[in-house]
Amino acid sequence: MMWSSDLEERIREVLAQEAEAAREGLEGLEERVMRAIAQRAAQPSLWQRLKERWGLTFSPRWALAGAASLALILGFALGRMFAPSPLPLSAQAGTLFAVVNPQAHSVAVMGDFSAWEPIPLTDPDGDGIWTAVLELPPGRYAYAFLVDGRWVGQDPQADEYVRSFGEYASVRYVGTGGGA
Amino acid sequence: MVLGELELVQRSLEGDLEAWGEIVRRYKEAVFGVALAILRNRADAEDATQEAFIRAYERLHYYDLSRKFSTWLFAVAANVAKNMLRKRRRPDPQPSPGRLPDPAEVVWKEEMQEAVKEAVWSLPDSYRAPLILRYWHEMDLAEIAQVLGLRVGTVKTRLHRGRALVKMRLAEQGVIHDVVQ
Repeated sequence: MMWSSDLEERIREVLAQEAEAAREGLEGLEERVMRAIAQRAAQPSLWQRLKERWGLTFSPRWALAGAASLALILGFALGRMFAPSPLPLSAQAGTLFAVVNPQAHSVAVMGDFSAWEPIPLTDPDGDGIWTAVLELPPGRYAYAFLVDGRWVGQDPQADEYVRSFGEYASVRYVGTGGGA
Repeated sequence: MVLGELELVQRSLEGDLEAWGEIVRRYKEAVFGVALAILRNRADAEDATQEAFIRAYERLHYYDLSRKFSTWLFAVAANVAKNMLRKRRRPDPQPSPGRLPDPAEVVWKEEMQEAVKEAVWSLPDSYRAPLILRYWHEMDLAEIAQVLGLRVGTVKTRLHRGRALVKMRLAEQGVIHDVVQ
């Protein structure tokens, strides 16, 4: 017979069984983690590859202006398309995230920087260009957009992509010299 | 020589992957427990555990050395698991990530344990995760609050309600006999 007063002890027992059962699946995890970290570190970012291939350079001073122009050009080009065209970029004033999608009802960005909590993008003038500027300290950030609740992980302007758990996410380097 | 946690973290910050491997060895089961508390699925929790250690290593320079390392690490793991839960498209698996019951082992104690396990794992997410962090990891309320990004009062309420729900389910099944419903 089990009494209410035994409940906490019984819960501890069954969770200890789970911990025991988990050991097998976690065997060799140390090596897998170290290998994955080493592999990721060895992969040059998309931006680095572009720089090496075409000798592109990037000045943070012109980042916001350049990106705004790029956003406008792409906005006109893609404005009628359903697919979003996110254009994040880094600048001293912050990091701009933009999605061009006149059909969207809600757009948000989420990433490492927000503990993957959605941060809404806004489109106050209703032109279909959704934006948010975030103050991000230098670093590497994985992120994705949510367009009407739909996951959009591949940002054409990202430094690189990562794929985990069957989903793509974009990666941007902010102020580290490793990308934008 | 057994290195201290802080020294391992500092070596990891300097790029010593072996030191980080030791951190993984020491914390993998605990991190797995955090992931499992949120995801309720063993295979997904294993994936989340690996990703959490990679993510934590990449963001180690944001770790404040004056804070408790395990709490920070568990918070990273909880975020990875929550994100994975959001992205998971398939239906939530039914509770009990454990092994299937062996007919030969159908004795009262195991039936009781299965009932307790099922009652815990079938709790709603918001009650299950604090309960598991409390009884698997023996975390106090403040630490659970930090890991899950909740207020201490909320954790206290959820723990209380989580325990009450487990008790109620067990009473319904006749496993607990001294509960007034």
